Amino acid sequence: MRVVIAEDLALLRDGLERLLRDNGFDVVASVADGDALVHKTVSERPDLAIVDIRLPPTFRDEGVRAALELRRRVPETAILVVSQYVEHTYATELLAAADSGGVGYLLKDRIMDVGDFVEAVRRVASGGTALDPEVVAQLITRRRNRGPFDRLTPRELEVLGLMAEGRSNAGIAAALVISIGAVEKHVARIFGKLRLPPAEGDHRRVLAVLAYLQQQPAPL
Amino acid sequence: MPALLGYRWSVRQVALLEAWLARELVGSRAALPPASPRPRGYWRAGQSVLADAAFWRQQAYLFYRATAGWALGVAWTTVIAVAGYVIFLPAYYGPTHPQVVTWRVDRLSEAFAVVPLGAVLLLVWAAFTQLFARASRELASGLLGTGATGPTVDLRRRRRALAVHAGAYGLLALVLVAIWALTSPGYFWPEWALLSLGLPLAVHGWVELVESRPRLRRRFGATEALAIHAGVSAAVAIFLVLVWALTTRAYFWPVWALLGLAAALAVHVGAVLRGRGTRIERLEETRAGAVDAQDTQLRRIERDLHDGAQARLVALGMSLGMAEQRLGDDPEAARALVAEARAGLGEALRELRDLARGIHPPILSDRGLEAAIGALGARSPLPVDVEADVPERPAPGVETAAYFVAAESLANAAKHSGATSVRVRIERRGDLLAVEVEDNGLGGADPDGNGLRGLRRRVEALDGTFTVTSPAGGPTVVLAELPCAW
Repeated sequence: MRVVIAEDLALLRDGLERLLRDNGFDVVASVADGDALVHKTVSERPDLAIVDIRLPPTFRDEGVRAALELRRRVPETAILVVSQYVEHTYATELLAAADSGGVGYLLKDRIMDVGDFVEAVRRVASGGTALDPEVVAQLITRRRNRGPFDRLTPRELEVLGLMAEGRSNAGIAAALVISIGAVEKHVARIFGKLRLPPAEGDHRRVLAVLAYLQQQPAPL
Repeated sequence: MPALLGYRWSVRQVALLEAWLARELVGSRAALPPASPRPRGYWRAGQSVLADAAFWRQQAYLFYRATAGWALGVAWTTVIAVAGYVIFLPAYYGPTHPQVVTWRVDRLSEAFAVVPLGAVLLLVWAAFTQLFARASRELASGLLGTGATGPTVDLRRRRRALAVHAGAYGLLALVLVAIWALTSPGYFWPEWALLSLGLPLAVHGWVELVESRPRLRRRFGATEALAIHAGVSAAVAIFLVLVWALTTRAYFWPVWALLGLAAALAVHVGAVLRGRGTRIERLEETRAGAVDAQDTQLRRIERDLHDGAQARLVALGMSLGMAEQRLGDDPEAARALVAEARAGLGEALRELRDLARGIHPPILSDRGLEAAIGALGARSPLPVDVEADVPERPAPGVETAAYFVAAESLANAAKHSGATSVRVRIERRGDLLAVEVEDNGLGGADPDGNGLRGLRRRVEALDGTFTVTSPAGGPTVVLAELPCAW
């Protein structure tokens, strides 16, 4: 799998490159700013671009802007945005631009859990979704105890969170150490309780769940 | 002094009545700002009356209503009478044989031919009264409905209102001069209407000039109230002298009124000069407050780093050291220690991130106030309605202060108020940036509590005003207004 990395801190760039090579990825280019990223991605056509949000020259949200531009110019390259902080505003923008999947947004902290991180990278590169648990938690906090949400059991809430992160049923089963059949039952019950239409495919499912979570909760 | 206070009270009462009338009759949105508090001591109370911009605006408006209302009443009677006379001319042209300019109406067909003139006059008048009603509405919103802290009606609308006012004046002047020319050339009676309506136009124009050019005003060292006061005094003085010139011209009676106006202005100038002294004192106080607040915050950051991330990194180092020792003989224990170290590292990162967000939230510098407060709202457990109208980004210091006002107030609403929803409004009001956070909770917030006091210091250090209204039973409204060069 061919990967391009855009990260301005050399320490992190080299670390990430080594980690990906160790896990069998082919890092075709490592760059330090958004313009170089767009340039390299357009010329190399990798399967995946890993992009830091804060990049020179302004150190603001260049990474998000570069990612959105890549989406427009090279839609077949999947994009994984990594950052020291997460804002659900950026998550919303990235997902809105990626109707067809192949998008991820993770805290850099997640890289420490190498197994999980590599799994997320593969998932995004093959058209799936990876949304940081903290973004999902931000979205879930504000709906807690409101509307049909308070009828979800704690286990169902966990499954909902993992669905929103973009995991497949098999991934959820592995994370919660339960059978795939049990996950399917939970998912069906969650969709019933929240009155969501059934969604085909993991990415569609993420979009449906996030659309539900992003509605402004009704006052009590 | 009691007379002055009583006078201000009665001006306020009449202004309240006028605001109600303006709302009921011409659909204005005027609502009076709350009365400003009266400081202790006669001298200070008197000075505060003179320095109250709302008081001057109310007087300007009442003055406008008195003069314009009177002139309009006269004009109204005249126009209706002339129009009625012309329209019903066919009924009684016979005995009177009236003359329209140089044309004597002797026959019925001639009388009928004159009728459309009356209709046109009425139509023109109707258009004019509509203009006048609009001008009154804008004036009422502009002059009555504004707090001492700044205009709430946006500048474009106010400029348009002034144009409508001037246009209405010009139109009325044309109509009156035309009537004068058509009926009884000789004594130029429209001078009275034009003079008395010209005065409120001059005052209106002056008030707009003063409010739209704060920098010019500051260069002369005048407050808004003083500038309006001086302009209104000058206009009244010119008016009185002109009235004197148009009438007897014998005994110069306006001298007493002029002396009174000059005395009031002199007292006001004195108050502003003295106030500048207290302002410097206040600046020293708020700067000290800001330094204190900054110091407190730095201490908090130091403590959080020391007890949090630093301690975690030490523990992590110990775990890794032990893992290194056991790597050879007990790889299973080493693996557990490494896992533990990684978990500790995650915690340290989370703490550092929270700390960084508390110093300066990244999305604020990335995307500005609107996006940052939107993100705050999304993170709040309460439904938050954000209304933002900030076309240009304010200075970074102002932006950060505005953000923390919203952040702290939202956190308070979620923690203490018992509210079920919150509304945040950020908008530009003249040369101020206003942040208003209103919840529907139970009220009773303590404005001297730690969080709110910190916010007050932060806002006052930027020369802004910070008010918390939180009556028992609610709602709680936090309002910060920050001066801002756009």
